[in-house]
Amino acid sequence: MSTKKKDTQEKMVASRRRFLQAGIAGGATLATAAIARAEGDPLITEIQDWARYTGEGVDATPYGMPIKYEADVVRRNVEWLTADTISSINFTPIHALDGTITPQGCAFERHHSGAIELRKEDYRLMINGLVDTPLVFTYDDLVRFPRENHVYFCECAANSGMEWAGAQLNGAQFTHGMIHNMEYSGVPLRTLLEEAGIAAAGDLKDKWVYVEGADASSNGRSIPMEKALDDCLVAFKANGEALRMEHGYPVRLVVPGWEGNLWVKWLRRIEVVDAAVESREETSKYTDTLADGTSRKWTWEMDAKSVVTSPSPQSPITHGQGPLVITGLAWTGRGHITGVDVSLDGGKNWQEARLAAPGVDKALTRFYLDINWDGSEMFLQSRARDNTGYVQPTKDQLREVRGYNSIYHNNGIQTWWVRPNGEAENVEVS
Amino acid sequence: MLKFLKAVLLTGAVAAIASPAFAADPAAGEKVFKKCRACHAVGEGAKHKVGPELNDVIGRQAGTAEGFKYSKAMIGAGEEGMVWDDEALAAYLAAPKKVVPKTKMAFAGLKKDADIENVIAYLKTFSEGAAAEEAAEAPAEETEVAEAPAADEPAAAAVAHQPDHEGAFGLGRKATGDEVAAWDVNVMPDGSGLPEGSGDVLTGEELFAENCASCHGDFAEGVGNWPKLAGGMDTLAHEDPLKTVGSYWPYLSTTWDYVNRSMPFGNAQIFEPDEVYAIVAYILYSNDLVDEEFVLSNETFLDVEMPNADGFIVDDRAETEYPVFTADNACMTDCKDSVEITMRARVLDVTPEAGNE
Repeated sequence: MSTKKKDTQEKMVASRRRFLQAGIAGGATLATAAIARAEGDPLITEIQDWARYTGEGVDATPYGMPIKYEADVVRRNVEWLTADTISSINFTPIHALDGTITPQGCAFERHHSGAIELRKEDYRLMINGLVDTPLVFTYDDLVRFPRENHVYFCECAANSGMEWAGAQLNGAQFTHGMIHNMEYSGVPLRTLLEEAGIAAAGDLKDKWVYVEGADASSNGRSIPMEKALDDCLVAFKANGEALRMEHGYPVRLVVPGWEGNLWVKWLRRIEVVDAAVESREETSKYTDTLADGTSRKWTWEMDAKSVVTSPSPQSPITHGQGPLVITGLAWTGRGHITGVDVSLDGGKNWQEARLAAPGVDKALTRFYLDINWDGSEMFLQSRARDNTGYVQPTKDQLREVRGYNSIYHNNGIQTWWVRPNGEAENVEVS
Repeated sequence: MLKFLKAVLLTGAVAAIASPAFAADPAAGEKVFKKCRACHAVGEGAKHKVGPELNDVIGRQAGTAEGFKYSKAMIGAGEEGMVWDDEALAAYLAAPKKVVPKTKMAFAGLKKDADIENVIAYLKTFSEGAAAEEAAEAPAEETEVAEAPAADEPAAAAVAHQPDHEGAFGLGRKATGDEVAAWDVNVMPDGSGLPEGSGDVLTGEELFAENCASCHGDFAEGVGNWPKLAGGMDTLAHEDPLKTVGSYWPYLSTTWDYVNRSMPFGNAQIFEPDEVYAIVAYILYSNDLVDEEFVLSNETFLDVEMPNADGFIVDDRAETEYPVFTADNACMTDCKDSVEITMRARVLDVTPEAGNE
């Protein structure tokens, strides 16, 4: 672009800004709106820069990023949660997304020893233990097995964990953002186990697979053979493209419906064993301490859960009274969502929300409730139901069973207090 | 002869480029081989017949199968450098008498390229050196293709699929014992997987101070948000339980395994087994679980009693929660008399500041 042309553009932008500022200075917002309406919206009545000058050519960004105006729709970290970002977690901006698929670039990250750069060429996957033939696969080997595509949610067991003792973090991103939902392409774990042969394991009922990552944390988890042979996927693509480094490039394990820690990234080894390994991540972490001090282990399944993503503290109502879209996400690790109820009054009365599409097995479901908001205070809640007959409990119902010492698996009903000015706050109600 | 070999190689290269997507199929090759069986044997116990037996023919110098009486022409071709690689075999099987004019082989030749490639693939399944040779050849073929001006097509000619195991797809390869030993180092609760070795508390204290204390504190009490490894005994039923190796971890194997594989943070897997034993001994000592004379080894390992070993139950949600959290207990209208705010996030004020543009 020539300097002269750019100058002209800047002048025009500046002049439009002056016009708008004059309008605002001229009186209240209503008055401005009236003037705009009377004379017409300058965005329409005046020729805009983008209608006159050309935009960016192709290849300006060979791999496209969101436009700069969406720069706030990003993963966020809560610094005080962990000692160091290398062993930490951040949160998906669910308050700003719609639909069900999470773009990889804003899907939450959880690392125990940082995200590593592992080339496909350097990737090896070993299957050993109680198998007929211990095998090693390269990445090129993996992509020669018959492949499947599935959409699954991945939720960290600690999602909403900070909310156990009470309302803490003010935003759906922070309370419920340890979740993402992607379409995975990969090879069934079953296919790989059968390639190595599992006759050597004998009776499969009491057998496990121990899955382990290649990073320095050596995150390893034990998974019952039944689940390993059921629907686990050794995935190398998400949403059509290679996994991102932060999600385990080039290969991660997908364990549908089960807590995210089992979805081992940079998957390097699968060992068939005759007992759970009882690794750090399945004993000292990801276990749920009850009121009497005993702790549940092997709580793998993620129970039915939902949250209103908008309006919410980071997504207040800015348009005043009238038509309002209330929307949110629901999911269950034990099947699919059959319905979502929404309450505007803190759980006194409920009405059934509209599902954007029928519930999909172990994947996010988008729900909507389209209302005519009268501008009065609301206590917004949502309550998911799944095909097992399970209904999402309140936090108090959970505490009645588990006490206050748990961290993981908090699937209690969330409340947003929406004020007449449209702002929302994370609260708990009686 | 050299000129001739060049011609063969060129033909081979052209053939490779011309049929890039073709994948040689040993099973199909076995059927083709029926035409050859009258004179050639291959497989276990194969002996020379009218023609030489063909085990390990791939990669072998022409005219050199032990105990077979070749034509002078074939022996001569071999001495001039002819080796039964893909290209040479393909050319020979297409027109034997053109390639080695005075060969004894009476066969006129295979007409279809696919038959030739398939039968070569079949023969490769009986040739030990074939896989290695394929690997060595690959770069050369890539170079040829790269030089060819019109070649934006895939590179190598279809490589024979030669599994080394019985899997349905025959993909991957057998892991070597050393490979398994290098990666399979996890330790089970019963101590299996532990290497031989030992370490005492005082050695462990030194190692801990040097490698661990910057995060976990000199006495394993933890620094800042980093994990506390000691203390917290009998706090699990308290409002704010302190979960440490001593107060919470049910198995000592977990500690050994984690120190061995994942610590120190940022410089993992540097400890020798004896050092791991020593550090774990020190962590036990910090938790008052052993005295300072204690020596932890693969033999004393199971003597250590972990206080919270019986503190875990297997997931019981199916009994304690699922029967309760049902539609029967999910009211739709007039579910409560009043709704009062009992807790507010803004009062706590621990949410990070709004987005930084």
